[in-house]
Amino acid sequence: MSSHLAAMVVFAVFVSVVFAALMRDEPREQLRFGLRLFGGLVAGGILAGWLLYPLPF
Amino acid sequence: MPIAAADETRSLPTTYLICAAAWALPGAGHLWLGRRQKGLIFLIALPLMFACGLWLEGRLFPFELTQPLVALAAFADVGVGVPYFVAAATGRGGGRAVAATFEYGNAFLIVAGLLNMLVVLDAFDVAQGRK
Repeated sequence: MSSHLAAMVVFAVFVSVVFAALMRDEPREQLRFGLRLFGGLVAGGILAGWLLYPLPF
Repeated sequence: MPIAAADETRSLPTTYLICAAAWALPGAGHLWLGRRQKGLIFLIALPLMFACGLWLEGRLFPFELTQPLVALAAFADVGVGVPYFVAAATGRGGGRAVAATFEYGNAFLIVAGLLNMLVVLDAFDVAQGRK
């Protein structure tokens, strides 16, 4: 897994799964919360990457 | 329908025993408390995340109190319980700083431990009838 994006996506999957199980009780709610969290983590990571891209260091 | 709050409150010594089990084996506390679905999720996800961290050539940090950030990372690593000791005993987790995935590996290892600490706190709340 040498792709930074793949590593970030796998990381987001694990974090989303655990937080969804921790914070919601019903499976349907867990799925919805987990998907939203996963989307937020991946989108936030990509957005942060692009915002940092112009920096010279 | 949400799961009802635990109808029985465990004694404090039992609660601490549950927390110790939850720390040692991710998900064991929830399985003990009858939260099978959550317990199985933690039992699979957290050791797998920790294993991914090792595969990505992350490092199990040593307890060096002269370097507070390293000591904190070591404390977080230990949070995952038995998988940490298995990895340490089998000589894994040496880390390879020049690997492209080294920092990702560290993030996986540290966050797996920190997430398990949250799982332990959740097991404590369930055992005390708060959830």
